Amino acid sequence: MPALMMPAVGGELVVFGFASLLTLAFALLMLVQKTPVRSVLSLVVTFFGLSVLAILLAAPFIAALQIFVYAGAILVLFLFVIMLLNLEEEAADKDDRPVQRTLGLLVALALGGLLAGATLRAPLPPRGAPTSARIPMPDEIPALGRLLFSDYLLAFEVLSLLLLVAAVGALLLSKRRFE
Amino acid sequence: MTGVLPGVAPMAVPPGAFLVVATLLFAIGLAGALLKRNALSIFLSIELMLNAVNLLFLTYARMRGDLAGQMIVFFVIAVAAAEAAVGLAIFVALFRTHRTVDVDKIALLKW
Repeated sequence: MPALMMPAVGGELVVFGFASLLTLAFALLMLVQKTPVRSVLSLVVTFFGLSVLAILLAAPFIAALQIFVYAGAILVLFLFVIMLLNLEEEAADKDDRPVQRTLGLLVALALGGLLAGATLRAPLPPRGAPTSARIPMPDEIPALGRLLFSDYLLAFEVLSLLLLVAAVGALLLSKRRFE
Repeated sequence: MTGVLPGVAPMAVPPGAFLVVATLLFAIGLAGALLKRNALSIFLSIELMLNAVNLLFLTYARMRGDLAGQMIVFFVIAVAAAEAAVGLAIFVALFRTHRTVDVDKIALLKW
């Protein structure tokens, strides 16, 4: 497929720049927001940016999942719980551990810099034995589906069990005790 | 870490840029998990860290031309959904007994 081998360079760079700036800006906004509701809403935008990045990385299925599951389901669950607990007044009281906050910020910055340096320097290991399918560039979703129901079938079934257990567990945890 | 493996379709955006964005997102998530006091905000920051690692997986999958990376992201998203359900249920139960989800005030197992 020689046509797909030559992507439109300028356009993809522009989209990448826009999406990554959006993602990082709203992640920072999530960090500085005091109320959890605003944090959740900032993170919604971050997840949309991440899904654009996933499309640039030839993963449209993951991009769709990102929006359906993360922005659609998990963050809405967060919003419901926040509104259920009515947390607005809790964010206002003052911080009684300023030293730990400063140390935490320093540790996060140091680890971020360390990880960025290490990630950029590490060599990409050569391809070993072909354990799974190559990414077929025009449409990867059929290949992903075949892989899911052949090589990863056991993991898939265990996952369905895990989701069932999590749903039952969440129900049990959040229900009122019978006295 | 310069580019894709031989035989994989070339990328218009250098893969290192994706790796830097993912690492920065992870650092922001870590800072949130360390700095926030509200348990829900800490949980949100952990979700952001999971997503940063997902972005790394997708980048490496693209660089290697291997679908296994995307498969792992699929499983991470599903496990994150289960984790969110259980975690939020724990917070609801916690709020019911303690009337707060401030992690500095919940020190039941500390002493």
